Amino acid sequence: MLLPEQMSKILVIGTRDRLPGTIDLLYSLENIHVVDFSEEEGFTLGTPLPSASDASHKLLKLRSIGKDLELDEHGHHERMSVKQVEETLDKTLSDIESEIAMVVESKNAKQTRLTEAETYLKSLEAFKGIPLDLEMYRGYKNLEVFTGQVKTDPEPGVREVLGDDFEIFRDSGDSNFIALFVPKAKAEEVEKALIKAGFTDIPAPAGTGMPAEIASKLEQEISTLSKESEDVSVKLKELQEKHATYILASDEYLSIEVEKAELPLRMGATDHSFVLEAWVPTSEYGSITKSFSDKFGDDIYIELLETKERKEKHHTKAEGSVEAGVMTAEAIAVPMSEETPVKLKHRKVADQFSFYTKLINNPRYNEIDPTIALTLFFPVFFGLMIGDVGYGLIFTILGWLGLTRAKSKDWKGLSTILFYGGLVSMFLGFFLFGDLFGIEFTAIHSGESELSSVTYTWAGLLGIDIPHVLFNIGDFPVQLGYFSKLEDVKMLLYISVWIGFVHLMVGLILGLYNVSLRHGLKAAIFEKFSWILILAGGALMLLVMVDVLILGGQLDVMSPLFIGSLALLIPGLALALIAEGGKAIIELPELLSNVISYTRITAIGMSKSGMALAFNYIAIGLIAPEGGIFLLVALLIFVVGHLMIFILGLISAGLQSIRLQYVELFTKFFEGGGLEFNPLKIERKHTMEE
Amino acid sequence: MVDVSIGGGLVAIGAGLAVGLAGLGTGIAEGPIGAAAVGAIAEDEKLFGKSLIFTVIPETIVIFGLVMAILLWIKF
Repeated sequence: MLLPEQMSKILVIGTRDRLPGTIDLLYSLENIHVVDFSEEEGFTLGTPLPSASDASHKLLKLRSIGKDLELDEHGHHERMSVKQVEETLDKTLSDIESEIAMVVESKNAKQTRLTEAETYLKSLEAFKGIPLDLEMYRGYKNLEVFTGQVKTDPEPGVREVLGDDFEIFRDSGDSNFIALFVPKAKAEEVEKALIKAGFTDIPAPAGTGMPAEIASKLEQEISTLSKESEDVSVKLKELQEKHATYILASDEYLSIEVEKAELPLRMGATDHSFVLEAWVPTSEYGSITKSFSDKFGDDIYIELLETKERKEKHHTKAEGSVEAGVMTAEAIAVPMSEETPVKLKHRKVADQFSFYTKLINNPRYNEIDPTIALTLFFPVFFGLMIGDVGYGLIFTILGWLGLTRAKSKDWKGLSTILFYGGLVSMFLGFFLFGDLFGIEFTAIHSGESELSSVTYTWAGLLGIDIPHVLFNIGDFPVQLGYFSKLEDVKMLLYISVWIGFVHLMVGLILGLYNVSLRHGLKAAIFEKFSWILILAGGALMLLVMVDVLILGGQLDVMSPLFIGSLALLIPGLALALIAEGGKAIIELPELLSNVISYTRITAIGMSKSGMALAFNYIAIGLIAPEGGIFLLVALLIFVVGHLMIFILGLISAGLQSIRLQYVELFTKFFEGGGLEFNPLKIERKHTMEE
Repeated sequence: MVDVSIGGGLVAIGAGLAVGLAGLGTGIAEGPIGAAAVGAIAEDEKLFGKSLIFTVIPETIVIFGLVMAILLWIKF
C-alpha cells in the first residue's frame, strides 16, 4: 500500500484493419501508458490513420473561426452529445463559416479605414490653425517651405538672413506652429536660424483642400465608422453566443479524433500489422486481456513482457577502468526503473495530499510513496502550531468551502491542509491547549503566574462555570487544556524536540526500507541503520542532558541512560564512518540541527499566543471597561487583531509545517523523479458520450 | 510590573540579541537564495521543491540563536 502500483510491460500486436478499434479500446481502458516505439529491424514507425488529415483540416478551420469570434473557453458549460456533433459537423461547419465570413470581412474593412482616417487626422492636426490649402505647401521651383514647431520666435533670426524677403504664417491659436516660405537659395542659412529657435520639422500631409475642413469631415467619418464597427462587434458577439457551444464541442471532438488518429505514430508497423508497447498496472493485466479478447477474439495478440521488480540492477563495474575518485559506472548509468511510470495508489484522504508530494517530485517506482507520512504528520504539525478552537474552526470552514467549490488544483491543495489542519487545530485547541481566540476556557494554571493579571478566561468573561476536568478515563483526567502556550514554554519545547525524534525516526525507517528495496539489506544497514542508532542514542542523551543542564543534577557516567546512549551512538557512528567516510562527521551536526528545528512548532504557537494576548488585553482590559461607544472600538480591535493573527498563522503554520515535512522528513528517504503514469485517456468538457 | 535584577536584565538582553542577530543573519543569507529560487521556479515550476529546500537551509542559524536564548533563559 505504501509503494506505488506494480507495473507490467505488455506488447500488443494486431493486423492493420483492427487498428482503429484497438485505439478506441486503448483509450477507453484508461490504464495504458504507451511507450514510444523505437525503430527496430523489420518495423517502421506507424503512420497516422487516414482520418487524421481530414480532422486536422477541419480543426484548423474551426480554430480560425473561434479566433475571429474571440471565443473564450471559460464560462461555457453546456455539453453536446458526440453523436450530434459527428452527424452535423460538415454542414454546420460550412454554415457557420459563411455566416461569419461576411461579418468578419466587413469588420476588418471598417477597422482598416478607421485606422487610416485616424492617422491622417493626426497628421492634419498641426495645420488646422493656418488658413492655407494643403496644395500650397508643395510644388515650388524657387521657394522652400518650412513647417513645424518652434520654441522661440524665429522671425528676428530669419529677418537677419533674408531682410523682408520671406513670408511667415503662424497658428492663430496658441500653439507654436509656423509655416515659413523662403527663397530656395537661402534655405540652408534659414534652416540654421530656425534650429537656433528650437525648430522641429512637421511635414505637410498629402492631399488638397483646407486642413480645417478636411479634418471636420474626417471626424464625422470616424464617428460613423466607429459606430458601425461597434454594431459589427455586437453582431459578432451575438454570433459568438449562438455558436459557442457548437464550436467548443466540435473543437473537442476533433481534437480527440486527431489525437486518436495519431496514436500510430507511437507504434511500430509493418505493411499489414502494428505493434505497441505499454506499461499497465499488473493488477489490471487480467482485465485488459479480457477486454481485448471480448472485443476482438483472437485477432489481437497480447504478451506480458516483464513485471517490473523494485530492486535496482547493479551494472557490473568494469574492473580497473574506473579510477578512484571518479564517479562509478553505477552512478552514471541511468537506473532501469526510471522509465517505469509510477502510479500512486491512495485512498481518498491521502489522494488529496498527493498534491504536496508532487509539488516536490513524483515518487520513483521503487520507493515508498511519502504521501501517507505527509497525510499523517502535516495536519498534526499545523494543528500543533495553531492549537486554537477559534482559528481552527475558521480554517476548517474555509477548507471545506475550498474543497467543495474550488476548481483549480492549487486551491484544492491549499484547501486540503486548511480543512484537515483546521480539524486537528480544533481538537488540540480544545483538549491540549484549551484556547479559543487566545483566551483559555478556564485557567490552566490558576493564579500562580505572572501573566494572570493580563489574561482572561471565557469562564470569567462570560460569568459561567466551565468545568476544567471534563471526565476521567481510568485515573487520567480529560481536561480542557493541559498546557498554556505562554507559560509552559519549556515543557512544550521539550515535547516538540521529542516530536522531532519520532518524526525523524519515521523518516529514517522509511529510508531503511527504501534502500533495502533498491540495494539490499546490507547497504540499508550501513546507510540508514547507522543513523537510526545515532538518533536513538541522541534521544537518550537528551534525557541525560535535561537532567544535567536543566534540573541541575550531576553527570553520572555510570547511569544506565548514559551508558545506553553511548552504546547506541558509538556503533552507529562507526557504521556511518565505514559507509560514508568523513562525510558522516559533517552530517552529525546536521542531524542535531534537524532535531532542534522542530522547536519551531512551539515557537510559532507561542508567538501567535503572545500576539493574541496583547490584542485581547487591549480590547478587553483597556478599552472595553470605558463602556458605551468604546465597546464597539474594543470589538473592532478584537476582530482586526485576530484577523491579522489568523492570516499570519495561516502563512507561518502552513509554510513551517510543510517545511518540516520537506526538509526534515523527506530528505531522510525520498528521492523522487519518477515518471508519472500517464495513461491514454479522454477528458471531455464540452461533449458527452451517450 | 515585575522586579528584575540587573543580571536578569542582561540575560534578557543577551537572549534578545541571540535571536535578533541570528535572525538578521538568516535573513541576509536567505534573501539572495530566495530571489534565485523564485527565478528558477519561474523558469520551471518543477523546481519548487528543491528551491524551497535550498531557501530554508540558512534557517538553521536562527534556530541556533533560539536555542542559545532558551539555554540562557533556562540557566539563569
